Amino acid sequence: MLKLLQELFRAGDATVKYPFAPAPSNPNFRGKPEYNPKRCIACAACTIACPANALTMTTEPAAGKRTWMLDYGQCIFCARCEEVCPTGAIVLSKDVELAVRNRADLMVTADFTLRNCGSCKTPFAPDKEVGYVIALLIRSGLPADQAERRRELFETCPDCRRHAEVMRRVENARLMEVRP
Amino acid sequence: MSQTAGTFAPHIVPPPGAIRESEQIAKLKQTLLRDIRRSAYVFRVDCGGCNGCEIEIFAAISPVFDAERFGIKVVSSPRHADILLYTGAMTRAMRLPAIRTYHAAPDPKIVISYGACGCTGGIFHDLYCVWGGTDPVIPVDVYIPGCPPTPIATIYGFALALGLLDQKLKARHHSEGPDEDVVPIHPNIPLQLRIDLEREARRMAGYRQGRIIIERFMHMLEAKEPTPFAERIKRYLEEEDDPRLAEIFARLNEIVLQR
Repeated sequence: MLKLLQELFRAGDATVKYPFAPAPSNPNFRGKPEYNPKRCIACAACTIACPANALTMTTEPAAGKRTWMLDYGQCIFCARCEEVCPTGAIVLSKDVELAVRNRADLMVTADFTLRNCGSCKTPFAPDKEVGYVIALLIRSGLPADQAERRRELFETCPDCRRHAEVMRRVENARLMEVRP
Repeated sequence: MSQTAGTFAPHIVPPPGAIRESEQIAKLKQTLLRDIRRSAYVFRVDCGGCNGCEIEIFAAISPVFDAERFGIKVVSSPRHADILLYTGAMTRAMRLPAIRTYHAAPDPKIVISYGACGCTGGIFHDLYCVWGGTDPVIPVDVYIPGCPPTPIATIYGFALALGLLDQKLKARHHSEGPDEDVVPIHPNIPLQLRIDLEREARRMAGYRQGRIIIERFMHMLEAKEPTPFAERIKRYLEEEDDPRLAEIFARLNEIVLQR
């Protein structure tokens, strides 16, 4: 009997103390994705990467906004969003206490404004994404004054830019033709 | 607390036989939660999952996590159950057994949707034979997300269902404010060097570990310390116990030296 008690004391208590003490966790554990909307540029890379479609985006050109949505109820905690995020806006934490009574509490949403094209005045990209692209070009070696000069070009939608380029070439060709 | 079936996902048409909870039962359930002075018995229904959730449920009742400390016991008949635990996406074939189980359990009962598939259909949400999660068919009281939920999340969910712990997660919404410009990460490292380092780390260590390792490396590269980076990395490589990590760091250092 004494031997058994000794053995029991030696082995100790195997049960984790949760919920009275914090739960043990592994350094590589993938828990709740923490979203920082201030770092997000609404580029939609995460919504393309998400295998479970827990991350979705809807664009409303009429209202001039894009809505980013994360549904924890659908998330499979694969960390692909963290992998593709260029700005580190979404990072997986170790939190697992996600149970809710109301389904709507599992949603995280964020609204972003769209930038209107300088020439056709229709929205074409999130405002923050355009700003980020310019900042990235400056980082990659474009002088800041040149970037500022080209700002008008960056703030034009691809369709208008293509149209302007075609018109420029047509004009050039016309000038070449009239030469004797 | 009580929700009628199909209130959250209006795009999913509730299938024939979907259950709506009456007000009387909702009231009874509140009484049950307030006055429960005994163990809560759990019956588990797999509606078409991958068995990952079942493994975690059995881990939760094992001696390591020991849900029976709180009187939570898994029983093998819905007639004994206070809590019904629905795992897996609601498939066409399991729809009627799931409804029959709901009717077989005595009122008042608590319904828990377990795992990503139980909550919304998870990765199977758009399959032809899947009716979303549990809630298009059966009124759900508590959702436990996770793929699969860990035993810790399971115990937390049970405690939430029985009203022992409070809900931590709340719906969040953010509207873009002025001056929220985003600057690229690691401003002191040339862009091309950063891209090359990231690619190499991910090639060697895989996508998630690669990112963690490259963040550590670039943090070291950017740190403003009196000792130069070359010396610091040399000391680090001598001290690192993990040969795999040391090899990756040495390779990344080579890329930095090539510049």
